Amino acid sequence: MAAPQIPNLNTLRRGRGRGRGGSQRTEEGPGRTSGKDRVIQGTDNDASVSRLSAVRLGYLDDPYAEALTPAENAVRRFPIINRGTYVRTTAIDELVTRFLGPYTPQSVPKRKQIISLGAGSDTRVFRLLASRQPPDVIYHEIDFAVNTTAKIKAIRSTPLLQRAVGITPSNDEVSLSETGDALHSPCYHIHPLDLRSLSATEDPSKIMPGFKTELPTLLVSECCLVYLSPTEAEQVLSWFTKALGKGADVTGTANIETPITPLGLILYEPIRPDDPFGRTMVANLATRGIKLQTLQKYHSLGAQRTRLKEQGFISTQAAADIEFIWEHWVNEQEKERVADIERLDEMEEWQLLARHYCIAWGWRNGIDPTAFSGWSTLPSQSSEQ
Amino acid sequence: MSDLDRAIEQLRACRLIPESQVRELCYKARELLIEEGNVVSVDAPVTICGDIHGQFHDLMELFRVGGDVPDTNYLFMGDFVDRGFYSLESFLLLLCLKVRYPDRITLIRGNHESRQITTVYGFYDECIRKYGSANVWRYCCEVFDYLALGAIVLGASSELEPTGPPIVNETQSSMPLDDDELETEVLNSRGEVTMSTYRPRNRSSSDSSDTSRNISPPRDISAAPGQTAGAPLRAGAPGTGASSDGNGSATTTRTGAVLCVHGGLSPLIDSVDKIRLIDRKQEVPHEGAMCDLLWSDPDEIEGWGLSPRGAGFLFGGDIVKQFNHLNGLSLVARAHQLVMEGYKEMFDGGIVTVWSAPNYCYRCGNVAAILELGEDTSNGGTIARSNGEYGRSNGVLGSNAATTVVSPGRRYRVFEAAAQDTRGMPAKKPVADYFL
Repeated sequence: MAAPQIPNLNTLRRGRGRGRGGSQRTEEGPGRTSGKDRVIQGTDNDASVSRLSAVRLGYLDDPYAEALTPAENAVRRFPIINRGTYVRTTAIDELVTRFLGPYTPQSVPKRKQIISLGAGSDTRVFRLLASRQPPDVIYHEIDFAVNTTAKIKAIRSTPLLQRAVGITPSNDEVSLSETGDALHSPCYHIHPLDLRSLSATEDPSKIMPGFKTELPTLLVSECCLVYLSPTEAEQVLSWFTKALGKGADVTGTANIETPITPLGLILYEPIRPDDPFGRTMVANLATRGIKLQTLQKYHSLGAQRTRLKEQGFISTQAAADIEFIWEHWVNEQEKERVADIERLDEMEEWQLLARHYCIAWGWRNGIDPTAFSGWSTLPSQSSEQ
Repeated sequence: MSDLDRAIEQLRACRLIPESQVRELCYKARELLIEEGNVVSVDAPVTICGDIHGQFHDLMELFRVGGDVPDTNYLFMGDFVDRGFYSLESFLLLLCLKVRYPDRITLIRGNHESRQITTVYGFYDECIRKYGSANVWRYCCEVFDYLALGAIVLGASSELEPTGPPIVNETQSSMPLDDDELETEVLNSRGEVTMSTYRPRNRSSSDSSDTSRNISPPRDISAAPGQTAGAPLRAGAPGTGASSDGNGSATTTRTGAVLCVHGGLSPLIDSVDKIRLIDRKQEVPHEGAMCDLLWSDPDEIEGWGLSPRGAGFLFGGDIVKQFNHLNGLSLVARAHQLVMEGYKEMFDGGIVTVWSAPNYCYRCGNVAAILELGEDTSNGGTIARSNGEYGRSNGVLGSNAATTVVSPGRRYRVFEAAAQDTRGMPAKKPVADYFL
């Protein structure tokens, strides 16, 4: 699986730190990881342990979770955390599924593209591609090299994962970087990239092999951009809105010289840092060295919607907290099923926790006003509390 | 010093006692608890506490703020275990105190004092981790089965003795009239009054127009270290209680009894006596009266509703009013629900939630509270009037009862989470889970 045709992506990162959490980056050469970045990389472990807990108890059906979480890390989480993991995962699944539309083999020629930022050990690509063969979607994952290396190692040692994404040892369309931190196949790409380094490059194809600028595209930031500084987070989104056609500037005027690719964004992030729960969250995470850098700027559902608009997702912006999504996106039968798995002992605590995380979603139609039509009927919270 | 006193000393330092001693302690506790009725009678003065949830360091803070055992008479409304990291230390200390001072501390059962719930919410795992087997968990669960389901507080005074001047010289509100009595007081953990309410003397609570003076939020920035708790409450003033008021009507006022349960009411229970009939010595059932008492919540609804918890019911203000009236109660005190301010009165003061686990789960950012009820000394200390059986025979709502039940004076002491490293006790830094 050696792939000499793939450039050594490490060289593209020269002079940059690798982390998405640090703001100081001048002293960090390639291959060096700052302590702050390591802490942020470690947050992926929190997410994957929580996922495995929810899967083992039956909240989520995900045959790939075991393979991507080291068995020695497995912990049974409290019911409140399992429910939150369930809502977060199924809500993003819902948005992704609605973006792609119902799968038929006839839809394969009209492909779409998904880019997962800070994907870590996420299993969504496996679940998605396994259910859409031959695939009608190209899936990109971007993360630190240390995380992508671990994921590629897991894929190489797990036939179940390989089958899910259509990678077989004999498939010569699959390539791997020399250092084992990048993977490329017709429908699945893993890019070992520091998101902060994107803005240094204009040409997407150089930095992200397999990236298609003409396909309707969905960006997913599942608790990722929040670790960057507000400026860095803005630059990441701007880079994609530019790379996929000029899009719109802040005032909303479209540049009509280049065709504008339809582009959507899903953000999953904590909100409301200024009440007692939010203050405690910020303080508790700080003792672990985790700083949620954009939290103050995007502190509310309203601030998230404004952000979406200002970043060029001009067609529609919407947001809802996890409590609202549990109440309004999950049907009664499913709610009952989930509630029967584990009885919540404390509703107030659940509401408190669930109101401090949100999903925000927005899009620009570009040249295809139907690209995100599947999203238009999703309930959202209209007024800001 | 007896073994028991040594055990108390050790547990106070957050150090566990040997398994053999736990076994002996649980045996003694069961012998004691088996003699208690389903509804324990407790005389005021008493300090009522809500959920503890294994937050040992905060339990020590509670004792600092509320006074130590046996100086202060305590009533804990359950949920001693689960969620926090020191369920064993917290529950075993409370149990030791119960065995050592049976008349100065009352423990009633919460929904977490159950085999099923403790296997999900942490206590079982903690026992395995700290003792290496499930033996201690089994001993504790056997004690849980014998805990009372409720308590009736008798002889509480309708009026509080003012603690002192409020911390802020507040300008807008009028001072109480000469004839007003102090009904509620909120103190921060430094013992400073942050809010007081008054009501006209010798009137029923329903027709009084309370003067509320909110001086500052019941929240202080830092607990003053080294400050000792206030002396046990000795409130109570002459002139209240069972005497005719000056209006010439036949109405008399008296301080009603206070029912304490962990969760709330049950559609199967219309009188305190019905609680006494339950066969309680068992695991908490999934449904029925015993389950409801431990699981139900008050809510802004009419009548009964389904509980989102999947056990117990929601009940509205009309249910509380009727229950209190039929049983000669002035107040239901319960725990079970996280309230950010530590306590919450609902339905014109007919029910109060008391929550005693500050920064619950090391994550919620809430303050905690305890509720002090003073002793009515107006009748020379005799307690008789209301024992939860009042009105049992007349049984009709809206009948022209000749007696108006007045709620007791209520002093809330609000406190914050204890700094974990300040008491020389071992404290693993707790890590709260978030979605990352």
